[in-house]
Amino acid sequence: MSEWMIQCRGLSKSYRKGATVVTPLEALDLKVPKGEFLALMGPSGSGKTTLLNLLSGIDSPTQGSLVIAGQEIAELSRRQLTAWRARHVGYIFQLYHLVPVLTAFENVELPLLLSEMSKKERHDRVATALELVGLGDRIHHTPTELSGGQEQRVAIARAIVADPPLLVADEPTGDLDRDSATRILDLLRGLTRDYGKTIVMVTHDAKAAAAADRTLHLEKGQLLENPCADF
Amino acid sequence: MLPFSYATRNLFRSKTRLLQTIGGSTLVVLLVMAAVAINQGMNHVLSASGSPRNVILVGSGSEESVQRSEVPERAAGIAAASVPGVSEALGVRAVSGEIHYMNYLDFPGHVRTQALIRGVTPEALRVHPEVRLTEGHFPRAGEVMIGRLAWRKLDVPEDSLPIGSRLQLSDQELTVAGKFAAPGTVLESEVWATLGDIRVLAQRDTLSCVVLRLDDPADFPEADLFAKQRLDLELTAMRESDYYGRLSRFFGPLRAMIWITAGLIGAGAVLGGVNTLYAAFASRVREMATLQAIGFSRGTLLLSLIQESLLACLTGTLIASGIAMVFLDGRTVPFSIGAFTVEIDPGVALTGVVTGILLGLLGAIPPAIRCLKPALPTALRMS
Repeated sequence: MSEWMIQCRGLSKSYRKGATVVTPLEALDLKVPKGEFLALMGPSGSGKTTLLNLLSGIDSPTQGSLVIAGQEIAELSRRQLTAWRARHVGYIFQLYHLVPVLTAFENVELPLLLSEMSKKERHDRVATALELVGLGDRIHHTPTELSGGQEQRVAIARAIVADPPLLVADEPTGDLDRDSATRILDLLRGLTRDYGKTIVMVTHDAKAAAAADRTLHLEKGQLLENPCADF
Repeated sequence: MLPFSYATRNLFRSKTRLLQTIGGSTLVVLLVMAAVAINQGMNHVLSASGSPRNVILVGSGSEESVQRSEVPERAAGIAAASVPGVSEALGVRAVSGEIHYMNYLDFPGHVRTQALIRGVTPEALRVHPEVRLTEGHFPRAGEVMIGRLAWRKLDVPEDSLPIGSRLQLSDQELTVAGKFAAPGTVLESEVWATLGDIRVLAQRDTLSCVVLRLDDPADFPEADLFAKQRLDLELTAMRESDYYGRLSRFFGPLRAMIWITAGLIGAGAVLGGVNTLYAAFASRVREMATLQAIGFSRGTLLLSLIQESLLACLTGTLIASGIAMVFLDGRTVPFSIGAFTVEIDPGVALTGVVTGILLGLLGAIPPAIRCLKPALPTALRMS
């Protein structure tokens, strides 16, 4: 088995905006080993979120190869990508993106509804995930009854409950106070350290990036360092 | 699949929108049920009023209106003696000479209303066997008998015409001697008097028509031949069912107007409902994108949005059905030649349910597609 969770080669993304072609990401090469906590930094418009969307299968590249957990996903159709995401990726959003009409338990259970698990099995896994993020006593609370930090922890529980090998986080601490941010970063570190999850996190915050194993900087769709040179 | 509770809870996100959607679907379903029930009621009453065994002899050129027809008095006797195949009981042939007379009736309390008064002899009961006396007796001179739904056509209170009450026709006071039923026919909204009284009051020495009841509807050509051979009587023979069929076509534009009115009001309600769903779904583009990012397919999400819409529309259908049962079922509706009863039967109820389902499906699909259409990266960034 490959030691790499992510292998990109010549990865580009461009799209039309009116008469002009915008290329937020151009010929990018990147390798991320399994179990690494990688931070991506860079100014607005540098292509961080575009890269995150490509790595998570939310978007498809225009050119290049993108192998995640040993599978080339650049060629997958939209439908195949949807099914692939359910099994391989947990997404953590800056603004949590919890479903407001569902309780914390039901929000976390969502990814498991796509599996063949029994109700009891789902219940046990959701309870475990919520315990893991320290919200075992808030399972029946709706998002409006939770603080920002708690909401983000529910979102993390939702991202990990189906046990995907890759977690992607888009500014997970961007909307939180310092204490809550620290707890979230500790949680993410623990997921790498204790459960071997590979995490790619986009952040503007140098303190948040410091929690990662490695930090890469993007500018104008290119990585400033040569990440592949390290391996 | 997303849990069903997701759809039900989403309905209550905005109570105003929920009320608008339910209200709109209630209105549309109610209008459709009312239009179907009214059309069905009118069709039933007109088709049931004409028996294929009955032949109406009217004056040539008056096929469109029996009231305007003039038939010599002797035509009844001649037809009874000459037309083969006429039904016969106890030696009496089923032939009824009648005058159909439209005039104003005055009721106690100075209520004046136009009514169709049929001048008949007891033979009328032989050619109209659906007529059954329910109270009192067949009218004699100076008396009338009133159809079960006549009060509705006459626009007077239901209990205002008891046996023994009096009404006035062209200065002649008449007493209500009997009441009759003729279920599902326009006869039920008529007033019957004796042929002799109407002859005098209408100041005419001719009949409006002669009605023959045949043993077999296939014998109609015999009656037709009789009308064509007796040129001196200037008659035209029509099947009673054809006469009412023609009347039914005459009311076609009225039925079309009912549908057009229901359609216009319904279209407004549908557009309002779709607009509400557009607003409701548009505020959830990011949520739908999040669910897609988690791994739910667009098809699954479309199904969930349709579930929501169906729930609201079927709630509206339930309310509309309740309103229809309470306020429409059994109501009598007058029209120019009589009155009919609106019935919310299983067919009408089924039409309501199908309308509700179609509303839920077709109303949800365009806003749902719009909600699910944006590219995921864009949709995830929407507020």
